[in-house]
Formats: sequence, structure tokens, C-alpha cells
Amino acid sequence: MLKVRENRRELSGRIEIARLAVGAVFAILAFSYWYVQIARGDYYFELSENNRIRSVKLTAPRGYVLDRTGSVLVENEPAYSLQLYRREAKDLRASVAFAVQLLKLPADQVEARLARGRRYPEFVPISIAENLSLEEVAAVEARAPEHPEFAISVSQRRLYKRGISAAHVLGYLAEATPDQIRASSNAYRLGDWIGQKGIESTYEKLLGGTNGERRVIVDSHAREIKEESRLESRPGQNLFLTIDRELQALAEESFADKVGSAVALDPRTGEILALVSSPSYDPNWFTRRVTSEEWSSLLSDPNHPLQNRAIQNMYSPGSVFKVFLAYGALALGEVDPTAKVFCPGYATFYGRTFRCHRKGGHGWVDLRNAIKLSCDVYFYNLGRRLGVDRIAEIAHAFGFGEPTGLDLAHEKAGLVPSEEWARTKRGARWYPSETISVAIGQGPVLVTPLQVARAVAGLIEGGRLPTPHLFLASQDPKTGVRLRYESAPHATLALDPRKLDIVKEGMWAVINEPGGTAFGSRIPGLEAGGKTGTVQVAGRDAVLRSGVDRSLIEDHAWFTAFAPVNDPKIVVVVFVEHGGHGGAAAAPIARRLLAKYFGMTLAPRPGEPGFVRAASRPASPPNPGVSP
Amino acid sequence: MIRRVLPVPRRLDLIVLGCAISLSVLGILFVSSTTKGGRFEGLATRQAIWVLVGLGAMVAAILFDYRVLLKFSFVIYCVSLVPLVYLLFFGERIANVKSWIRIGTFQFQPAELTKVATALLLAYLFENEDDARMKGATIAKVGAIVAIPFLLVFLQPDAGLAATFLPLLAMALFFGGLPGKAWIALFIAVALLAGIGWFVLADYQKARIGTFLNPESDVLGSGYQVRQSKIAVGSGGFTGKGFRSGTQSQLRFLPVQHTDFILAVIAEEWGFLGVCLVLALFAGLVLRAMSLARVARDRGGVFLILAVSSMLFFSVVVNASMMIGLLPTTGIPLPLVSYGGSSVATSFLGIGLILAVEYRRFANA
Repeated sequence: MLKVRENRRELSGRIEIARLAVGAVFAILAFSYWYVQIARGDYYFELSENNRIRSVKLTAPRGYVLDRTGSVLVENEPAYSLQLYRREAKDLRASVAFAVQLLKLPADQVEARLARGRRYPEFVPISIAENLSLEEVAAVEARAPEHPEFAISVSQRRLYKRGISAAHVLGYLAEATPDQIRASSNAYRLGDWIGQKGIESTYEKLLGGTNGERRVIVDSHAREIKEESRLESRPGQNLFLTIDRELQALAEESFADKVGSAVALDPRTGEILALVSSPSYDPNWFTRRVTSEEWSSLLSDPNHPLQNRAIQNMYSPGSVFKVFLAYGALALGEVDPTAKVFCPGYATFYGRTFRCHRKGGHGWVDLRNAIKLSCDVYFYNLGRRLGVDRIAEIAHAFGFGEPTGLDLAHEKAGLVPSEEWARTKRGARWYPSETISVAIGQGPVLVTPLQVARAVAGLIEGGRLPTPHLFLASQDPKTGVRLRYESAPHATLALDPRKLDIVKEGMWAVINEPGGTAFGSRIPGLEAGGKTGTVQVAGRDAVLRSGVDRSLIEDHAWFTAFAPVNDPKIVVVVFVEHGGHGGAAAAPIARRLLAKYFGMTLAPRPGEPGFVRAASRPASPPNPGVSP
Repeated sequence: MIRRVLPVPRRLDLIVLGCAISLSVLGILFVSSTTKGGRFEGLATRQAIWVLVGLGAMVAAILFDYRVLLKFSFVIYCVSLVPLVYLLFFGERIANVKSWIRIGTFQFQPAELTKVATALLLAYLFENEDDARMKGATIAKVGAIVAIPFLLVFLQPDAGLAATFLPLLAMALFFGGLPGKAWIALFIAVALLAGIGWFVLADYQKARIGTFLNPESDVLGSGYQVRQSKIAVGSGGFTGKGFRSGTQSQLRFLPVQHTDFILAVIAEEWGFLGVCLVLALFAGLVLRAMSLARVARDRGGVFLILAVSSMLFFSVVVNASMMIGLLPTTGIPLPLVSYGGSSVATSFLGIGLILAVEYRRFANA
């Protein structure tokens, strides 16, 4: 209903007054802006040109990485880049020509940089080239009067002093990806360099330190006039690794053109003394911005140099697995170590014949000799008695089937088969004959070389499984305060020391008794134990028929060793892809590492020049503690 | 009752609509200018989405009979107070105040909707009060209607946002016809409150008022904002430094440049001409809305338009004055232009209510 009695005259009058007032206020506002922008415009323009306070990031120096003895593996070096200030350039084409001629750069690359920089306001400098040599820097500075538009900027660059050595341990730096920036909830900015792999990534926070900030007054070219305030950065911590640089270098040298990996660790603490994955790559490529050719050659290399084979490749353990089975069967009371099994060179289970690696058979063997000779028939029988689920239980007790907890990312878990696994994961039931294969480390069981090293450590320590780690200590470069890695071994399947001695003796015999599968690798004067393994490459027969390169279907070679037998201080695992027999391909590398670790000079092998029948006395092992 | 036999003309006011849309387009443009390549990249798209949401709300407000809204305005008002009370107890602090409700990555200030609800309730009140001079009871009602949301927001504590409720009070008292003596009493009361307020204000609020009085006292602290925005505005000159070429804004000297300080960016990049364009669009919008109020069909409609325009006008004046140091920095955005979802969306809702009154000018209920 419309109201008829409403008197709107008065209200209309007020609205008219208010409209006048509103108009007046807008006029006053416009006048005020006129005053600021036109009347005083020059004054403010001057201010905007000359008086600018900017915040400049002070990048914290990244911590060094050192080996256990304090020798530097990774440090920082100054890196020079060429910056172009467009506002200073009289003729951009002349500037481009100058840069092209001086640095011998492809012209289209410089043009591309320039084009990319156009998105930013003119006063933002464009980086034309990075990693200038000192000569180039000198040449640019010499021509500065003619080309004031160019300036050299200095930053810190990561330097991996030993090139490809320990690359998989150290990792590398690269610019943070958009995903990483998002994951850090914007703590990182575009263009920040952060650890991408290896300990550079694991200990990014520790190594990276805290960035500082400067507030500076800059002119209209964004050049600094004066510093207003300064908040110093906190440098990153120096990181001492458990790695022994010399042992690492020797292991890498031994691999030379071989493909595979090696791990040496202290069984008491889990400290990794050497970790090799071959082939390797040079992390310095990344800090110098990898070219696309380098990238594609890295990625297309059939040997995958970026892959850390010691923790990311899974293989059948082969006969190395037998020692864990022996230990487990003893601990579970499932085997009488003195009982003998007759090996005729084959055995028949479930209507199928399984061969022993020795055609003529080993005759009557007990547990100790079964390890020494790596008798397959003995372990077929033992495996059948245990059944796959108890084998799985034993394997899990030694840490197989799960990552070891090493302080590197992307570690593989391996695979421990069981009846449940076959049913749920594989989707085909477990056949008892598969158990026979698993008993000698074939079949679906998969392990990483690091898992084997850790398991051997757990075995010789009587069931105390250490956590492998690379972090030894960190040190604040300013205060000198140190932090050390603390961890207790994880107790697992315990075994009566007398029974443990039987297994250890078998492993000792592998190296030290004639007939042992690695008898050739004994070190006179050093009581070492070990176990060989040889893994057939899947699809071998098919490949043989197709007639491709024989080296690709050669067996994989395993060897693990520890020393001294009575008080083990080091465990070594060597894996050579397509190396052939474990005793022949892998054991000699392990032998060199053990000799090096205990400071023994090895006599030249029979057949090598200067071979004489003598050996040096064993020296006492060096103290592996840190003393930088 | 007269039965409707002829089609009733519906009137869409293109001046108000055109001004509002032009301003929001300017907003998207300059949000994109200031956020290009920085960590706020992508906000222009978000702003555009919010403008669309706002346009949707506007169309809904036009098509819906505002008289029904007025009838239920008390309920709407009460419901709109609920989130404010909730925030007071359970709110999450963002930038020191508890005025935001966060859903996913979107944040919303419920107080923006309360403003619209308060405008509706005041309009409904004056629908039935048409004495030449306001009665005491009406004055008390007006006071209470504005004071409740004002206090709830003030306690968040967001004095800037709370202040945006004050133009509603001024509007109601002025157009409702407050007697001359009462105006004098009001001035004395305000002066007293200002004195007491000084003891109640939070430290950062006092600091802002302090720097307003003497901007050079603290160049890097709260005086920084005023100083940098004055430099930005002043250095723009007559025609500006060019779109996306403002050194002050592109070098990020300006704080919150895409929200509260967007006018300084326009002033720097498009100069005095740009400022005049913005001010002209707002003046056109508000003055046109007020003339629509004069001829509105009913008293509720008159007051509804006046309430909405008074809030718009107040925000524009305070924000524009802030840029050049005429008023202390209060965190009041420039309606329709500044980045901010809830501000843009509810501004369009308000525009929709203005248009709705005009739309039904000749309609028969």
C-alpha cells in the first residue's frame, strides 16, 4: 500500500543539501590531489627518483661438508654474473653486441635473456650470463667507462671439490621448483637454490642457515646509495659426514668402469664409511646450470648415473642370503649345526630337480661347511623345513623389506615374500617350490646393497641392528658448538654367542680355508669373514638366444665381508652388476677396502708384477673417531 | 487495491550500473598491475571472480522485491550478527584482528554483510517514522541498531572496519531530522568520547594517529606507509608514469598496494587524470543514487538508497584521504576497486539494492 499521508518535501530538501555537500567533498578531494600531484608533483617525483628504501636479502653462506677426518668435500666459491641495466644503455643493440663479442656467447641466447627480462620494469637488471671467468670479469671491468650499463654481480656458488666422488651421498643444489616453494609455504622464493638430492637435501635446514636482510636506499636505477639497517644472516652449519674420504676414493677407483655399488659401515654404530654407486655424475654440473645436452645425456645413459644403486636398486641377494637363514634357523632352534646333509649335486622337491652350483656335489656337509662352500642343497633342505613365512620372519628381523633409515631420501624397501604377500599383493598363491629358491636368495626376494650391509652388521653383532647414517656431527662455524649423531642399535633376533660363532666361522672359512668360495681374497694377517653371492640375470636364456652383448646377461656378483672376526669394526658389501661370480668379481674389491681400512699393504696378487710370497704384519686399525 | 492490468515499466538505472562496473574493471586492471610477477600473482583473476559473484548478488537483489527484505530486515539483521559474536570468541587472528572467516583459501569478512543488513533495518525503521522532527524513541532505536555491530567489530579489534558503520548513524540522524539542540549535544558527546577513546585504543591504532599528526617522525615504521603512498601519488604528476611502470608500486615500496593503497597505484601510474576518473565515477555513482532516492516510491526505499550511498561515500572519502595523509591509515579499502572478495561482493550487493528501489519505482506491490 502506498502511504498517502507521507510528506516528502522536507526529506527532499535534506537530500538536496546532502548532494551539494557530497559534491563539495569530492571537489575538495580532487583539489587535494591536484595539490599533491601537480603543485607539489616535482618534489615528490624527486623523492620517488632518489629516495627509495629497499629490502635486500643477505644470503646466508651455506655450511661446508667434510668427511670424518675433517677434509673438505663441499665448499663455496664466488661466482660472477654479468648484469645489464637497461636504463643506462644508450643503444641496447650495441650492448648485446658487446656482450656477445666479449664473452663469445651465442647472440640468440643473449637476445632471449633480454626478451625474458622485458617482463620486468626497466630498473630491474637482467642477468646476461653466469659463471664468468676471472679474465672475463677483468675484461668487463676494463670496458666499464664505455659500457656503464653492464655490472658484475658476485654470489656464492657450491663447489663439489672432488667432482664425481661421493656424488650420490652429497647430492646437489638446484633452483627451488614451484612445488617445493609451495611445500615450504613460501619460505623459499623463486630463484633460491636448495638441496635437491643427497645430504644437501636431507640437511637443507642445517646447511642453509638463516638469511639476513639489508634495508638500503636506492636511486631510480635501483642502485644502492646508502645502507639504512642491516640484519646479519646466520651461516649454515658445517656438516661432518661419517664417510672416510680415502676409503671412499679407493672404492670408487676400484669400480672404475664397472657398474654397481659398495657400502662400508661400522657395524657397532651404523656409521657409513663409504657409499659408492657407479657410474656417478658430477654435482658441479647442476650448480653451473646444466645444459640441456648434459641433462639428456645424464637421463638417457642406460646405466642411470643419477640413481643411487646402493639404496635405490633392488636385487636378489643370492647366496649372501644363506647366512641370515643359517642364523635364523639357529636362533629358532630349527637346525642342529652338527647334523650333516648329503649333497649329490642336486636335490628333488615337489617333483622338481634343483641343482647345486657344484655339479659333482659337496658330499656330506654340516652348517659351517655349507656356508663355506655355499652348498645349495643344504639350504634347500633348510628352507623347506622353515617354510616361507618363517624365512620372511627371519628376513624382517634383519631389516629386509623396509628402508634402513639412512639419512638419504628415496630409499627402497626391497621385498620379502610370504604366503600372505603372494595372496594379497601378487595375486597368485605361493608355491612350495618357490620356497626352495628363496632359501638360496633367488625367487621374488629383493634387497638393496645397503640393507645387506646393515643385516650383516646385525648378524655379527649378535642381533643388534644398527641404523646406518651419514651424519657424524655438525658444527656452528661461529660458535664452534658441535652436535653429534646419537642412535641406539635396534635389538632384533638374539642368538647364543656360541652358536653365532658357528656362522662366523663358516664365513671366516669362506675366505680363509681352501675350498671357500672366496679363498683367493684372503688377506694374510687379517682375520676376515665373508660370503659370496652370484645372481643369475632374469631372462638369461632368452637373451642368449637373441645373441646380444654377452656382458648384459653375465651374472651379478655379491660379496660381503667383515673384520676382524672376533671384534668386527667394519662391514663391507660390494655388488657388481654383470660382474660374474661373487668370489671373482666382487670379493677383490672388498679385499682392497679391508686392507686399506686396516692400513695394510697388499702383496701383489699371483701373476701380478713383483709378486712374492710374503705379507706385511697387520697394523692396528686406525681410530675411526673424528679429529679434524 | 488496484488490480494491475497494464505491464508495469521496470527501470534499470544505467548511470549507477555503468559507474559501478567501470570502477570494478579499473580495480581488476590495477590489481593485475601491482601483483604481476610477485608473490601475489594471480589475485587479479580472483578479483575478477569476485566481481562476477558480486554482479550475481546485484542481479539477485534487483529481481528480488526489496520490500520483502525490509519486512524481514530485523531477522536478517540478527542473523548477520551471529558470525560477529562467533568471531569474537573463536576467530582466528589474521593481521592482528579477528575479522575474517576462512573457508579453504578464501577469506571473508562477515561484517561487510552486517553493514547491508544494518542498512536494511534502518530503512525499515524509517519506513514507518515520518515525523518532521525525530522522536526520542526513534533516536534511541537508531543508536542501538548501529551501536551493536559497531561495538562487535570494534572489539575484534578492527577500528577501521567499525568506523564504516558510523556513516549509517550520521545518515539516519540527518535525514531522519534530528532537532537542532540534539546536534549540539551530539557534538559534545563525540568530543568526550574521543578523549576517552584515546585510553581505549590499541597501541598500533594510537601509533597510526600519531604518525598521521607527524608523518616524518617514524620513517620506517607506521609513518612509512603514509610517506611512501604520498610519494607514489605525488610522483604520478598529471598523466602518471604509465600503466605498470610506477616505480613506487612496482618496486613494492607501497604496502598492501593491491588492497588499501590501490588508489595510490592508480595515482602513480595514471596520474591526476586517473584520480579524477576514479573520483568522477564515484561522484557520479553517489550523486545519481541520491537523486534516485528523492523520487523513490516509498520511504523505505529512500532510506535504503541513502544508507547504502552514505557507506560508499564514506569509504571513498576516507580511503582517498588516507593516500595523501589527510586522514590516518585505517585499513578501509576503496569500494569496488581494492582487492578483496567480501568488500567487492557486498559493494555490488549494495549497488543492487539501490537499483532495486529504482527498478520498482512505478510498481504496485
